[in-house]
Amino acid sequence: MEFAIISTLNGVTYGLLLFMVSAGLTLIFGMMGVLNFAHASFYMLGAYIAYAVSSVFGFWVGIAVAPVVVGLIGMAVERFLLPRVHAHGHAHELLLTFGLALIIEELIKLFFGDFPVNYQMPGGMRFSAFSIFGADYPFYRIFIGGMAVVMFTALWVLLTRTRTGIVVRAAERLPAMAEALGHNIPMVFMFVFGTGAALAGLAGAVAGAFYPTNPNMGIELGVIVFVVVVVGGLGSLKGSLVASLLIGLFSSFAVGLDWSLASLLGVIGLGDWARSFGGLMTLKLSSISATIPFALMLIVLLVRPAGLMGERN
Amino acid sequence: MRRIAIIAAMSAAALNTTALHAEPLKVGIIESLSGAQTSTGRLYANAVKYGVERINEAGGFNGEPVSVTEYDNAGGAPDAADKFRKAVGDGVDIIFQGASSAIAGQLTEDVRKHNIRNPGKEVIFINLGGDAMELTGQKCQFYHFRYTATAPMRVNAMVSAMKEAGELGTKVYSINQNYSWGQDMQAAVAAAAEAGGYKVVDEVLHDVNKIQDFAPFVARIKSAAPDTVFTGNWSNDLLLLMKAVGDAGLDVTFATAFLDQPGNIANAGKTALGHYIANNYDNAATDGKFAETYKKATGHYPIFVEGHSAFALGALQQALGKVNFGGGDINVTKIALALENTTYETPLGPISVRKEDHQTIRPVVVSKVVKNPKYPADETDMGFETVKIIAGDKAIYPVQDSCRMERPKE
Repeated sequence: MEFAIISTLNGVTYGLLLFMVSAGLTLIFGMMGVLNFAHASFYMLGAYIAYAVSSVFGFWVGIAVAPVVVGLIGMAVERFLLPRVHAHGHAHELLLTFGLALIIEELIKLFFGDFPVNYQMPGGMRFSAFSIFGADYPFYRIFIGGMAVVMFTALWVLLTRTRTGIVVRAAERLPAMAEALGHNIPMVFMFVFGTGAALAGLAGAVAGAFYPTNPNMGIELGVIVFVVVVVGGLGSLKGSLVASLLIGLFSSFAVGLDWSLASLLGVIGLGDWARSFGGLMTLKLSSISATIPFALMLIVLLVRPAGLMGERN
Repeated sequence: MRRIAIIAAMSAAALNTTALHAEPLKVGIIESLSGAQTSTGRLYANAVKYGVERINEAGGFNGEPVSVTEYDNAGGAPDAADKFRKAVGDGVDIIFQGASSAIAGQLTEDVRKHNIRNPGKEVIFINLGGDAMELTGQKCQFYHFRYTATAPMRVNAMVSAMKEAGELGTKVYSINQNYSWGQDMQAAVAAAAEAGGYKVVDEVLHDVNKIQDFAPFVARIKSAAPDTVFTGNWSNDLLLLMKAVGDAGLDVTFATAFLDQPGNIANAGKTALGHYIANNYDNAATDGKFAETYKKATGHYPIFVEGHSAFALGALQQALGKVNFGGGDINVTKIALALENTTYETPLGPISVRKEDHQTIRPVVVSKVVKNPKYPADETDMGFETVKIIAGDKAIYPVQDSCRMERPKE
């Protein structure tokens, strides 16, 4: 029971962090069809900007400024870089953003050095929210989770319940018609891209103070964020949330379970036989816990190629 | 026009005279200078350059300054193999590498094959940080020299020092990365159980630098209730693990191998206090003369791997002093033989090469994170304090049975 409760708690908070980063990516892909490989770099950029700003003006100013700056950078990318390759299709957009990711990483190293920087949460937030089965549960994890929930609600309300949302969705579905009705479509797209980037920046600013802020944080999270978006269904916000939580829970539970193929065969009395082979048979689930999201992606792609909540197109 | 012609003629003449001169010794650094491991690769390169500068200050070798070239392996073995071919094309005699055992494994194989195919044009590989046991076991070969401590050396040193300090306890947890180095650590921790008088309550291997959230692992550690957690983790895997344990308020001591990686102490904050590390070198363990000399040349005290890597160059310098090619062709095999017979005095004690497997017999420093140390880390008020220096002959372990070294014919 203790194991189940703690694993669930850990899985949910980690899943919410994943959602926070992938929300922007989903938004950009869902609305504009652009696969933004530099998305995790925006996340890293957010952390570094928050670090730079907060060391002068304090933590909260850093959290506020980072998404704005990253959003503006995102808008500039959408305005000046993407249109040049748009006509050549998805592959070229992917390549462009991939190159951008590499450039951002090296620029960060140039300005902030190769080592992790000392970006910390304010001392006042470093306390345990509650104690569970003798272990403290850090408040900041709850804070990250709370931010993700607020983000999801705000985005969902914005897209489905407001006029802006209608325009954005119209621009996605029938751009020519929306334009004919007098809406400035390129402007809408620029803002969508900027918002997506800003969300990643906010996630970076918040998470960077908990996880170390280093030049690799983009690459490390980048792949997993793509897995989230693919599993959830490209462009589906709700799908992203479900996929993030699933991945968080699966990885969290896998760590505590020392299951292997041998122990599975042990159920039908072949345990010792399987153990004598070693290798793959005795590979423990916990030692490949980081691989589980990819296995999940494989299964989802086989069974439901459009993703859990994606629309088939 | 005429001036250009004169310059051209002069430089041609200059080139000619160098050609008539001796053959310079060429050193190549094949290191992770871009990508995820840049932070470590850069430090190895710094130390090699520092060492080569010292050799050149003392008059170079074979009547010429030693040249040094950097090759970026981008953190991957395939790129390293590529860059090795390039280095060979450039006529490099000695290659250095340190960040990643996987790359060291690739390079030592490449060097071995190259040396078999090109007798008379051999290349030496000086391994500064590839700790995997197989490099001096199954893959051991004459032209590979390892100038760093391996998992059993670090673990045994830590066990003996922590036991003496009364901080080891009787229950030990072992958490490591799932590849050669982590598996070596896990094996070493299990092997030292009897000598240390502890029980390994649980051991776990996890993916390398892929895990963002260590909270689930902390839950596992907590349920095993250990006194000490041994881990060979480095980079993010160490930092995240340590922070997660600190956040959960668990009272355990960490016994680590790479806690001194820059940024770790600052990021972990107070959580880091009281944790142990066993490594090759620490400024606080010396009289400080080497640290000052290094600072004078590079602008900073030696950090992380820089210290022990500079010692490898010191040993090389000493070995070079024993051979004399009279300005003629360089015989790399003779340099390797001289290096085998070199005992280099470091501020911590002597470093010598074990002939059977080319592992260096070297002192291991065990330190602890304290407040207000002599050499603060990462511009904080924390840093390392030496607990014990284990002499080389005490730290070394027996030669692995799997090592079958083919020696050159003399």
